[in-house]
Amino acid sequence: MKKMFYILSLLIVASMVLAACGGAATPAATQAPAETQAPAVTEAPAATEAPAATEAPTAVPTPTIPPPVLTEGEGCDPAATKVTWFIGLGAGSNADVVPLEKAWVDKYNQSQKEACVIMNVVYNTGSNSYDALRALIAGGNAPDIVGPVGKAGRASFQGGWADVTPLAEKAGFNLSSYDPALLEFTKDEGVLVGIPFALFPSFIFYNKKLFDEAQLPYPPHKVGELYDGKPWDLANFQNLAMKLTVDKNGNDATMAEFDPANVTQFGFFEQWTDARGVGAFFEGGLPYDAATNKAVIPTAWVDAWKWYYDGIWKNHFMPNADYQNSDQFNKGNLFASGNVAMSWVHTWYTCCFDNSKIAWDIAVVPTINGKITAKLHGDTFAIMKDSKNQDVAFKVLSDMVVSPELAVIYGGLPAVVADRPAFFEAKSKAAAPNVIDWTVAESMLAYPDLPNHESWLPNLAVANNLFGAFRTAMDQTPDMNMDEAIAKLQSDLDAAYQAAK
Amino acid sequence: MSSTDVNASRSSVLPRPRLSANARRQRRWGILFLLPWLIGFFAFQLLPILFTIFLSFTNYSGGREFKPGNFDMVGLANFQRLATDPDVLPSMGVTLKFALIGIPLGLIVPLGIALLVNSKRLIGSNVFRTLFYLPSVIPVVAGSIIFGGVLNAQSGWLNLSLQAIGITNPPRWFTDPTWAGFALNLLAIWAVGNGMIILLASLQGVPTELYEAATVDGAGPIKKFFYITIPMISPVIFYNVTIGLIGAFQFFVPALLIGGINGDPQKSLLFFPMHFYRTAFPLSQMGYGSVLALVIFVVTMAATAVLFFFAQRLVYYASGELNS
Repeated sequence: MKKMFYILSLLIVASMVLAACGGAATPAATQAPAETQAPAVTEAPAATEAPAATEAPTAVPTPTIPPPVLTEGEGCDPAATKVTWFIGLGAGSNADVVPLEKAWVDKYNQSQKEACVIMNVVYNTGSNSYDALRALIAGGNAPDIVGPVGKAGRASFQGGWADVTPLAEKAGFNLSSYDPALLEFTKDEGVLVGIPFALFPSFIFYNKKLFDEAQLPYPPHKVGELYDGKPWDLANFQNLAMKLTVDKNGNDATMAEFDPANVTQFGFFEQWTDARGVGAFFEGGLPYDAATNKAVIPTAWVDAWKWYYDGIWKNHFMPNADYQNSDQFNKGNLFASGNVAMSWVHTWYTCCFDNSKIAWDIAVVPTINGKITAKLHGDTFAIMKDSKNQDVAFKVLSDMVVSPELAVIYGGLPAVVADRPAFFEAKSKAAAPNVIDWTVAESMLAYPDLPNHESWLPNLAVANNLFGAFRTAMDQTPDMNMDEAIAKLQSDLDAAYQAAK
Repeated sequence: MSSTDVNASRSSVLPRPRLSANARRQRRWGILFLLPWLIGFFAFQLLPILFTIFLSFTNYSGGREFKPGNFDMVGLANFQRLATDPDVLPSMGVTLKFALIGIPLGLIVPLGIALLVNSKRLIGSNVFRTLFYLPSVIPVVAGSIIFGGVLNAQSGWLNLSLQAIGITNPPRWFTDPTWAGFALNLLAIWAVGNGMIILLASLQGVPTELYEAATVDGAGPIKKFFYITIPMISPVIFYNVTIGLIGAFQFFVPALLIGGINGDPQKSLLFFPMHFYRTAFPLSQMGYGSVLALVIFVVTMAATAVLFFFAQRLVYYASGELNS
């Protein structure tokens, strides 16, 4: 029994040590110690748009998470004011991008004596970088500049951003040189929280090899162009997507023998967006009525969601969650698998597949109900309200937004039109030998979703979570009653809006 | 109290025996060796617990600097919200269901393996011990991602194998709410190596003379197992059950990796700790999230206390430690 006593004592001591060291959840009696934090598998990888709240609840490639990066201001003038730059709410935290950012910072720090930029990069897996920023803010160490960050990322820290208008006036920065529409797009609840920097229009990425195999013509590159002699509308778009969806026996989705349980190639996918993004394929909209503080789901969104759902479960030209997460479809990064013919994504998606290996190009979004809607993302750099160096931070920010190098790093169309040719040249170089028709990207800027699918809503974090969950449910549930599900979403949104009052 | 009483009281208190120099030195060393643990405990366990209790009375959002002005004291409002939160009972149900399946499985499977690798008839037992333990050294994040692939309904080898033997509609493990919870139970079994090692050590600690005496009395292997092995290793079984229970109430990481913060499909993986995490962090409701954390704490403590109560009757200590 003495032996038993020793064993028990040892076990107790070991468990106490583990507990004191912060050991966390063990999945079962005998499971190895677990980590307390983890990246969410069901969210998109870090692209250039904030994925946490609104983006991409469907799937994720196997994460290879780089460690956080914190620079020390090497090469700074000793008298320079330290300006911390947090990267992680959108683009910029991928391992291959960080050295480019660091090179920009080093060059910048050596080029002037006023500011010393300190980079703090936390890899954006969808939640951990958001938690890291929350911890910095809660501890009184809020960074000065955060970015690139889009509407969704900013909304997760609603009320935490400084108004840059007075800072610009003080610095003599000419805001009137920017397109007023872009300035409006960079406002949150009427407050200008940044300077327009990079735009990410959406369009159709298509895989030329799969079109060639099916002996189908490529989709239109110009608005109004016919496709195979027919209008580029929803019916013909769907028909094309079904023809490009192939099962293991080589049948396409328009054929009666098609086997939806064994699909090897899909025709279309709306990659890395939530239900608001899915709705915006048909039309921009705001699921909120400020007068009544109630949820009003746009009719076009209801139609878009039903079309999307049927596309997965009835017409089978879009993948369900099991296909999305399978090896065949690259575990969530579907277009990169080479087995999806068309994908509707933003400019930033060039970050996430081998631009030179896949034979690809881009096409315009089809006309739906007589109009084209190409949802738009716009990233900028924002200054935190808690920043203690707002004036110097603005000086850095104003240099960042006009830096052509940064625009190329983040894959966004520069807000300044004159900088775009250089941007496209750099992107083309990366895509060679593919020749990409970048005029498509520019042309889609004329068809933004208005209101934007990332617009502010009361209780935004909860509302975004509801939209994310709704899309996941559409992806996962074969026998969903869409009318009931939409009614439930509406009532949940109502409750969320009411709770914000 | 009279002066007589005071004196009587004083005289009844015996003077503390003076410690010898050696004992004092030993005490100092003892404290010194305990210090790392004590510091860790105060800094990383006790303070956060106290802070959680404080936060549960506030409406702190987590998105602002933690300083007066950025939050209000809301009294018991966060606790009242427990009654109206539609996810409280379902998420507790998910956790309990997982525990009810996972704890027995997490005990029976490693015990079976421990018996197997403890068998004298097994050739190369050390190789098998190593192989069975091996999955335990793989981090839970990596393990969960691997299982996500293994159990994928379209390309996972489990379903491909099931299809190969004629099962045409194998389960959609992680997208069908009927199967998702059970799939995580399977995942938890995967890493039973730690339990196996502990049980193996305890099996080897059972005095052989007990088996010899039982053999002489005509007992077969089954009787020996239930009347000698199980009682003799019952303290270790109790330990495993306790740790398993606590682990089940904290089960979180694989569910987050596979089901996301909403515990998809259809909240079937929304474990209670996940509900807490989602509320406190992604949804930035630190105040109410703290209440949920306290609920986990109280429920786990109560369940452990119940377990200890039953242990007095069910666990056999040859020296009678627990009963004494």
